[in-house]
Order: sequence, then C-alpha cells, then structure tokens
Amino acid sequence: QVSELVQFLLVKDQKKIPIKRADMLKNVIREYRDAYSEIVNKAGKTLQEVFGLQLVEIDSKRHTYILINNLPCAEGKYLCRDEEKEKMGLLLIILSFIFMKGNSVKDSALWEFLHLLRVYPGRQHQVFGDVRKLVTEEFVRQKYLEITPIPLTDPQEFKYQWGPRAEKEISKKDVLNAVAKIQGKDPTFWSSQYSEAEATR
Amino acid sequence: ENREAMLNSRSNRLTEALEEANALFDGVCRAREAALDAQFLVLASNIGKEKANELHSEMSAFDSTAFAEDLLTFMGINRTEETDDSEDDPGGFLPGDAWKRVGEEALKYFKRAPVFHYMLGSFKSEPPVPKQRIERQKKASRGKAEQAMPAQLKKMEESHQEATEKEVERILRILQTHFENDPNTPISFFDFVIDPNSFARTVENMFHVSFLIRDGLARIKLDEDELPVIEPTKPSGAGEEDSRAGARNQVIIRLDQREWK
Repeated sequence: QVSELVQFLLVKDQKKIPIKRADMLKNVIREYRDAYSEIVNKAGKTLQEVFGLQLVEIDSKRHTYILINNLPCAEGKYLCRDEEKEKMGLLLIILSFIFMKGNSVKDSALWEFLHLLRVYPGRQHQVFGDVRKLVTEEFVRQKYLEITPIPLTDPQEFKYQWGPRAEKEISKKDVLNAVAKIQGKDPTFWSSQYSEAEATR
Repeated sequence: ENREAMLNSRSNRLTEALEEANALFDGVCRAREAALDAQFLVLASNIGKEKANELHSEMSAFDSTAFAEDLLTFMGINRTEETDDSEDDPGGFLPGDAWKRVGEEALKYFKRAPVFHYMLGSFKSEPPVPKQRIERQKKASRGKAEQAMPAQLKKMEESHQEATEKEVERILRILQTHFENDPNTPISFFDFVIDPNSFARTVENMFHVSFLIRDGLARIKLDEDELPVIEPTKPSGAGEEDSRAGARNQVIIRLDQREWK
C-alpha cells in the first residue's frame, strides 16, 4: 500500500495541483481506511528518505497535501524544462512584488508593474501565451497565489497574496535576497521587509 | 467614488466624510436611512484599512519601477537609443532567453519537488534490425522480393504507455506478416528478437514479445531441437481451447552480453 501511495503522490504532483486526501483514499488506500494515517506517515518517510521530498499538509480543514523538495540547495544546472523554468521566473517576480509591497497588492497594481516587463494581461505573450490565465488560474490552482475579491468595489477589484504552496516552497528571506541581488543592494536596504523576513523563518 | 481621493494619505477627506455622516445620522428617523448609514460605515472602514496598509508599506518604500528596470537588465535587455520603432519595445530589445535567465535564478530559491517522469518514455524508436533479418532470410530461402511493411513511426509524442503498446503491436504485425507468407514455419525465437548490433535493443525486443505472449497473441514452443520458436496464435481459435489456455506459465530467460555475442 505504501509504495502504491508513494507512486500515486509522485504522479499526482506532476501538475503541481494539491492532492486531496479523498483521492488518496479512493484510489490507493481503499479498503485499508483504518490504517490511513499509518500508511500516509510511512509514505512520507519513504518520500523523504528515498527522494528527499517532504509531504506537507497545506490545508488541515480540507486535507490537501503538496510535495516539496527537502534537499539542500544543489549547485549547478537544474534538470528542468525551459517552460517550467520561465514560469518559475515569472512567479518569483510576482511573489517578490507582493512581498515588497506589504504582502498584499491590488490586481491593478500588479498588472501595472508587469507592464513594465512587457507582460500584458490582454495580449498573447511570446513566452507565456495567455498570461492572465497563467497567473489567475494556474498559479492559483497550484496554490502559489491567492486571489480574493475586495468587497464593495465596483468594478470588482482583487487582491493578490502568497498562496500556501509559496509559503512552504520559498521563504521571505530568499525573496528579499533575490530582489537585493537583482538590484545590486544589500537586503537591509529595505528595513521593514528585512525585519519581517528575519522574523518569519 | 472619490475612493482614490480618500486613499491619498495626505487628505483628510475620509475624516470629513465620517464627520458628515455623523451629523446626518442625527436627522435619521427611518430604517432605510439607517441602513444606508451602516453601509457607509462599512465602506469607510474598508478605506480606512487600506489607508493603514499603505502607511505600512511606505515605511521602506519599494520602488517598483526601479525594480522593473533592474529586472530587465538582469534578463539581458539590449537598450537602444531609438525609441521610435514600435510601442511594443520602448527603449530596448529583450533576448529570447530573457525569462529563462530569471527562471534559472528563481529555481535556486524554490524548494520545488522535481516533476516525476517515467524514464521508459524517452526512448526514440527506430525499426529494429530483426525485422530486416527476417526479410533477408525470406529472400534467401525463396528469392521473393517480399517486403514487410514497416509500421510508419510518426513523431513519438504520445504518452509512454502508448509507446510500449505501439511497439508491441508493431512486433505482432511483423510476426503475423511473416506468417502469412509461410504459415507452417515458426520463427526461431532468438532469430526474432536478437539484434546483432545492440544488446539493449535485444532486451527491449524480448520485453515487447513478452507482452504478446502474456496477452495470448503469440505462442512460444520448443521445436525438435529443443530451441524455442515463436508463432502468432490464430485470431479465432475454438472457444474451449482459449479458455483452457489460461494455464499460466512463467519462463525466465537469462541472457547476458557474452551469451548474446
């Protein structure tokens, strides 16, 4: 059962959409429901020891899980398709923008910023295609971003924040360091962001 | 309306509006008006919260325009003097790998589980050599210019599972084609699967043939010399025979490189 679950989780993780406990029960564990937590724990151990991956519950109410990489940062080239690389680049930039602006930004502010990088919501992008869909649907489904409507706004406005997967896969400190590197400044240049990054380790 | 004006940290408009509402409330005597007043309070508190938020992020002002400029530089932008060509690229030309560069950097920070792929799917298939050997054998023994039609291999972009199935199908077809021409001579198993040039390919062929056996589409028997031969099974055998054929046999064939040579 355990190895079946491990395989199931690895395959489900391909799309980076969080895995629901219900799916695990239905497809793999089935009749062994009572041993559920034991099987999940053992699977988690296997994932850690064999693959260096951590099984993390990101929603304790709805019981959804993601896999994150627990190995220390490996030097050198990453085995990663270009398409995935480019999406992660865009994502990092968006997450940085959100964090540096106080952890929450309005949609208009974000898209105005992306304009400066030649990324337009209304236009097919050479690299990303339908960017609006990528950001508001794919990244949200994968739980990298969280988009909530701002009440009583007309026309409806939205605020963008980090999603639970982002919180687990990357730290504010890393993001701040990335920004500092790109701008050629010291991270302490932005004192309040720096203190916040240090505080949330 | 006037939301932006109220948000402006230097304006007192929000306070003024609240004071006005307060004054108006004294004159309220109908429920509907009270409801409107309540709605106004909700709006006002939302605006108040937003104002407070903006105060917070202004503590360490983050210049997003500068960030964007630095990002473009990081991506390798080629800044040109003329800005009159198109409104698309004012002030510079972004190289094709612009986003890949950012991506490379980004990957260092994300603890992202690498996406899982089956290794088997990455083989590129060419028609295996055994098929040609069969052709040569046939030509030699009967001098007929019979050509087994190789299954056309289109771009293998399908899923890994389908790739295996297609291989198996193709091998079955080759076997059947050979049999159409010479129904009473089973092929020597080893002649069928061995690729004289590649050990790996030989193993792969045996792997695919094993599927045919498992599905009952082909049969292996021992001939007079105790050597295994392979033949396709007849598609519509007598019903009873088929159900009896359920006897599961396991055969392990060991073949290492020296033996193969």
